[in-house]
Amino acid sequence: MELSDANLQTLTEYLKKTLDPDPAIRRPAEKFLESVEGSQNYPLLLLTLLEKSQENVIKVCASVTFKNYIKRNWRIVEDEPNKICESDRIAIKANIVPLMLSSPEQIQKQLSDAISIIGREDFPQKWPDLLTEMVNRFQSGDFHVINGVLRTAHSLFKRYRHEFKSNELWTEIKLVLDAFALPLTNLFKATIELCSTHANDASALKVLFSSLILIAKLFYSLNFQDLPEFFEDNMETWMTNFHSLLTLDNKLLQTDDEEEAGLLELLKSQICDNAALYAQKYDEEFQPYLPRFVTAIWNLLVTTGQEVKYDLLVSNAIQFLASVCERPHYKHLFEDQNTLTSICEKVIVPNMEFRAADEEAFEDNSEEYIRRDLEGSDIDTRRRAACDLVRGLCKFFEGPVTGIFSGYVNSMLQEYAKNPTVNWKHKDAAIYLVTSLASKAQTQKHGITQANELVNLTEFFVNHIQPDLKSASVNEFPVLKADGIKYIMIFRNQVPKEQLLVSIPLLINHLQAESIVVHTYAAHALERLFTMRGANNTTLITAAEMAPFVEVLLTNLFKALTLPGSSENEYIMKAIMRSFSLLQESIIPYIPSVITQLTQKLLAVSKNPSKPHFNHYMFESICLSIRITCKANPDALGSFEEALFMVFTEILQNDVQEFIPYVFQVMSLLLEMHKNEIPSSYMALFPHLLQPVLWERTGNIPPLVRLLQAYLERGANTIASAAADKIPGLLGVFQKLIASKANDHQGFYLLNSIIEHMPPESLDQYRKQIFILLFQRLQNSKTTKFIKSFLVFINLYCIKYGALALQEVFDSIQPKMFGMVLEKIIIPEIQKVSGQVEKKICAVGITKILTECPPMMDTEYTKLWTPLLQALIGLFELPEDDTIPDEEHFIDIEDTPGYQTAFSQLAFAGKKEHDPVGQMVNNPRIHLAQSLHKLSTACPGRVPSMLSTSLNAEALQYLQGYLQAASVTLL
Amino acid sequence: MPVVTEHSERMRKFKNKGKDAAALRRQRVEVNIELRKAKKDEQILKRRSISFSLMDENLSPREAKGNEIIQLSLEEILQAVNGSNRELQLQATQATRRILSRQKDPPINQIIELGIIPRLVEFLTHADNAPLQFEAAWALTNIASGTSDHTKAVVEAGAIPAFISLLSSPHMHICEQSVWALGNIAGDGPLYRDALINCNVIPPLLALVSPVTPIGFLRNITWTLSNLCRNKNPYPPLDAVKTMLPVFTCLLEHEDKDIISDSCWAVSYLTDGSNDRIQIVVDTGILPRLVELMASPELIVMTPALRAIGNVVTGTDEQTQAAIDAGVLAVLPHLLQHAKPTIQKEAAWTLSNIAAGPCRQIQQLITCGLLPPLVELLDKGDFKAQKEAVWAVANFTTGGTVEQVVELVQSGVLKPLLNLLLAKDSKTILVILDTISNLFMAAEKLGETERLCLLVEELDGLEKIEALQTHDNNMVYRAALTIIEKYFSGEENPDLQPGTGQDGLYDFSVEKQDFNF
Repeated sequence: MELSDANLQTLTEYLKKTLDPDPAIRRPAEKFLESVEGSQNYPLLLLTLLEKSQENVIKVCASVTFKNYIKRNWRIVEDEPNKICESDRIAIKANIVPLMLSSPEQIQKQLSDAISIIGREDFPQKWPDLLTEMVNRFQSGDFHVINGVLRTAHSLFKRYRHEFKSNELWTEIKLVLDAFALPLTNLFKATIELCSTHANDASALKVLFSSLILIAKLFYSLNFQDLPEFFEDNMETWMTNFHSLLTLDNKLLQTDDEEEAGLLELLKSQICDNAALYAQKYDEEFQPYLPRFVTAIWNLLVTTGQEVKYDLLVSNAIQFLASVCERPHYKHLFEDQNTLTSICEKVIVPNMEFRAADEEAFEDNSEEYIRRDLEGSDIDTRRRAACDLVRGLCKFFEGPVTGIFSGYVNSMLQEYAKNPTVNWKHKDAAIYLVTSLASKAQTQKHGITQANELVNLTEFFVNHIQPDLKSASVNEFPVLKADGIKYIMIFRNQVPKEQLLVSIPLLINHLQAESIVVHTYAAHALERLFTMRGANNTTLITAAEMAPFVEVLLTNLFKALTLPGSSENEYIMKAIMRSFSLLQESIIPYIPSVITQLTQKLLAVSKNPSKPHFNHYMFESICLSIRITCKANPDALGSFEEALFMVFTEILQNDVQEFIPYVFQVMSLLLEMHKNEIPSSYMALFPHLLQPVLWERTGNIPPLVRLLQAYLERGANTIASAAADKIPGLLGVFQKLIASKANDHQGFYLLNSIIEHMPPESLDQYRKQIFILLFQRLQNSKTTKFIKSFLVFINLYCIKYGALALQEVFDSIQPKMFGMVLEKIIIPEIQKVSGQVEKKICAVGITKILTECPPMMDTEYTKLWTPLLQALIGLFELPEDDTIPDEEHFIDIEDTPGYQTAFSQLAFAGKKEHDPVGQMVNNPRIHLAQSLHKLSTACPGRVPSMLSTSLNAEALQYLQGYLQAASVTLL
Repeated sequence: MPVVTEHSERMRKFKNKGKDAAALRRQRVEVNIELRKAKKDEQILKRRSISFSLMDENLSPREAKGNEIIQLSLEEILQAVNGSNRELQLQATQATRRILSRQKDPPINQIIELGIIPRLVEFLTHADNAPLQFEAAWALTNIASGTSDHTKAVVEAGAIPAFISLLSSPHMHICEQSVWALGNIAGDGPLYRDALINCNVIPPLLALVSPVTPIGFLRNITWTLSNLCRNKNPYPPLDAVKTMLPVFTCLLEHEDKDIISDSCWAVSYLTDGSNDRIQIVVDTGILPRLVELMASPELIVMTPALRAIGNVVTGTDEQTQAAIDAGVLAVLPHLLQHAKPTIQKEAAWTLSNIAAGPCRQIQQLITCGLLPPLVELLDKGDFKAQKEAVWAVANFTTGGTVEQVVELVQSGVLKPLLNLLLAKDSKTILVILDTISNLFMAAEKLGETERLCLLVEELDGLEKIEALQTHDNNMVYRAALTIIEKYFSGEENPDLQPGTGQDGLYDFSVEKQDFNF
């Protein structure tokens, strides 16, 4: 492409079309631009347009297109062609800085981004003049230009804040410091002077303060990796000026906006960060300045208002104080009682107040409110910062701080008592204060785990929390109700049990509150109380203690799901699940109504599943209903099937992907509960479960495998007789699974069930193929996981069909195959098998090979007999070999059995661990001893001689131990 | 017994899974570029004589008359030096020396530009004019004390052989001045250091060391010798090192703290290198003395002694064991608590390298009570020291046995470690995250994963790790994500399953589930 007017014109037209709302016009234009972007001069045409086009939209559009072009193409990737020709690269680098600086702000930002992308690749080696070019502009006196330079520098240097130290990085930083630090410092001083000469010129001040913010950010980046010599030498200049900027105020810079932080706030906030950086990393050098900053920041806090726009500043400032007050050598700065009192009074208490914005969130955005308040996503809030400061101060001054706050709490409670309707916020603050003062350590699972002993939590609970919850109206002062419920929740381990029991009916009552936050908290609190541990690993609160409340609890929980805004409230659903699990058989009388409500809910949400947690707990609750009821009354199984199958069919037919894995799990649970032969309703579904489309979705695989296993356990004979034509399909699923490194273990689960349960004759014609398939995988792409499963399978096969059958099938595939598998796979790898049942299967299987396989005694396989025995003893006695070849690390992390990304396992649909060996062998060591004994009786003298020739001494010692324990001797 | 060997072999492989012991030990210099000011506690490379020393007044009676010396202009100096009047030569040389000795901004460049250096070097050879030799030596010493270019000007004028022959001057003050000048030249860098060594500077220098050498002189000799050991890329030749070492071994026993200090510095340079260089020092048997000196109340002695021992433990397990046997673990606790941050840092660095050793050395570290001061340092130390302490903990958790790791956790390491996740240093954060993973691996072996999860959450670690999932550094964010996914992503296990195991029906607790929506 030439740099011609005609091309400029064409480009202009296409750029214009890319802005068209109609995709039929926009898309082809975008395509066209992409197709020509490899041409020489294309970027230069864009630069020309963004500079010279008559239309502003085209200028902006060209600048955005240019930046994206740079982003996609500038980096030279090894082994890939260079996508921008060298002359264009040189021309871009030569022109972009002046162009950026002379452009209006909107375009300047795009070009500045482009420069930093280029800089990331080319700076400093391939762009040596960039820095000088930028620094020279500092002299220009034009702050529009200067800010452009500063912004570009910021985007170039900000990576110093997160990259690891390296020679390359530090060489670059050193270069930057040499060229940039002094001019930046001079600019800083000059800008501050200009601020005082222009103190009355609002528009000038705005520009100057933007510069100061950028300068302060650059300071942070340049000082991040280590304290540069230059900045150490010039600390006085920087810190003195930072300090005075912190204390500066100018009416002209105050904004009316309540939400958006203004320039002054942003600058001070950055200065707090800079001071915090120095305090943390360069304490030794910064020590002389630190006390001044503490005072300034504290004064700043005292004088800053409650508006949202100050939030970041305030929380940064408080966090600075919190981090300093914990350091032993700054303890003295806070020690004085007056200082402490005034920090508590003027910094902490005001920032704990419930603000208008909080109130709004409480009412209109309760989900967000709950997330912040309950789940701790409050890191940047003022309340949280204040809370951290309390905890920081308590490290050295727990007594005095508790004392000061007790006074506050009392006076706030008195205020509240005088006129609750007007002063309820005082009580909210009091509760928050007590909470933050008392809590020293906290977890989601247990609430507060370490409390301040100076605070009497129970007394406060009885005198100030319970009365609120006992009041006649559940809807009065909802914020205080929520506070009270939260108090129970987090101090549940500190408040004595009898008080918790008193609270339970109150909590159940508050499930009816209209406020979403209040009834959600009530549900959550109940759920938490029900998970508390008592003595002997039982629940703290027992089903018996709950007996009087069962009906009202269940009623209110399900009613709460009908309250506006809570139809898919996960906290309520989780509380339902937990209540079922706690109450057990006492829920049985209510099951008919419960299951109706649950299936209706299921039907409703399956139209558009949107709350994964809610859905999960709902299915858990369904599983619990089934287990609890059928345990007491097995005949109820049919009525559950009747109630659920209709909805399940609909879910399967409509292919509700989110729910299908759950449906399979519930069906597995139901089927496993059948004592007799598989019902025909299940058999009708069997062919559909083998449909490939189901197996294409990874999330379906584990629950489907489990379901098929249930089919095999309950209906192997039915399948063999009535659905024999489906056996190839079933094995096809196995083949599909075994082909994947991620799912092969699932394939083995299925295969193991097939071998264990299917009548042998039904498999005769497939047997050889199964093994061939496995050997192919073993040969072409074996992994540790595959070998582990393979070993378990062949030993299971050996147990089921006998060692001789195993040897025969191997050798029928290829002569001497059996010996090769023994030598190359079983003996060297058996140590890798993990899991108790798996190890037991292998032990029993190998024992059979050793003692019930004649070819092991009188063919060339005999030489493998002792090594195999030694490997078996190793399996018994040595720790598991969990080494994994390096190249397999990736697979192992992604595909370890039991770790599924797309599959949500239901805990209450849990499958019992299955031991196919079972009671047949209790102690595999003794079993080995007995089997060897039997073998030695059959061929006297052989066994001892094989042992003495090649079994190593230690293994022999172990073996003698087994023989002794089994009270047998070898002949 | 093969079974046992196989087993221990496997254990060994397991312990260091993916890490190799050498990588755990960290040599002093990871980065050659420094952003910081040259460290104040380093030994000085070059020194200028700025005022009249006592010795000078005693030995140079002319000086006593002081003000009699007339101030000369540079022009006059040039003329006089190049002239043939011996009296004027001396006056001019003395004037030169004086202006080079003034406290502030000595005009070294101007003197070099005058072009009189070759002439001054020539004066060094005027054995018949000791005062002139002395003044010239002094002036050249001060020129050589400047930048590399300044030193270069002196060397290129042929000063090295001239100064070396002055080492056998019958006048002790000339001899001493030459030692000083040679020290400045050696301190310039490996190039001139080796040039000096190749000109055989060492034997005459060592010959000057004797029981009757005056203290001040001996200090100068020690300092110059130490500069001959200094600098890397390349290291000083091994033969040279071997000839000097026995002398340092003796000097370390001297009573003068400056002599001890410079000898320690020399040893610290010699140990700052590959393991075979460390071995040469270990073989002299001076480790016990160095450890003793680490406990010295004198900062100038303690600093280089600590540095030297710190270097030794970057070596092999056996070399580290030699330092342990010399008692380093008994001294370290005090140094970890030292008031000076740089000492804390060096001590923690030393400890981190001992913690990188096999578990028997880790056990010694526990037995000697190093854990409490380590935890204390991690909690309250200066940031530089905290960073090293983090490495110590990381190495400990990589190489320690499960029991040792449990002991570490019981010493309260977790809280300060987790607090440091707020550190403004990506590498430190990454090392902490790796350490946390190590702790979890140990917990898994003990079936205590759940408890560790709770502990981490209680100590506000969880929210810090969660926050790191948005860190700008890719490796940091991935490490955080891995920990969250692996240990914290599940809902808590429904640990209250009804009637667990009673009739088998509810026995479904074995499988651990991961909820991932």
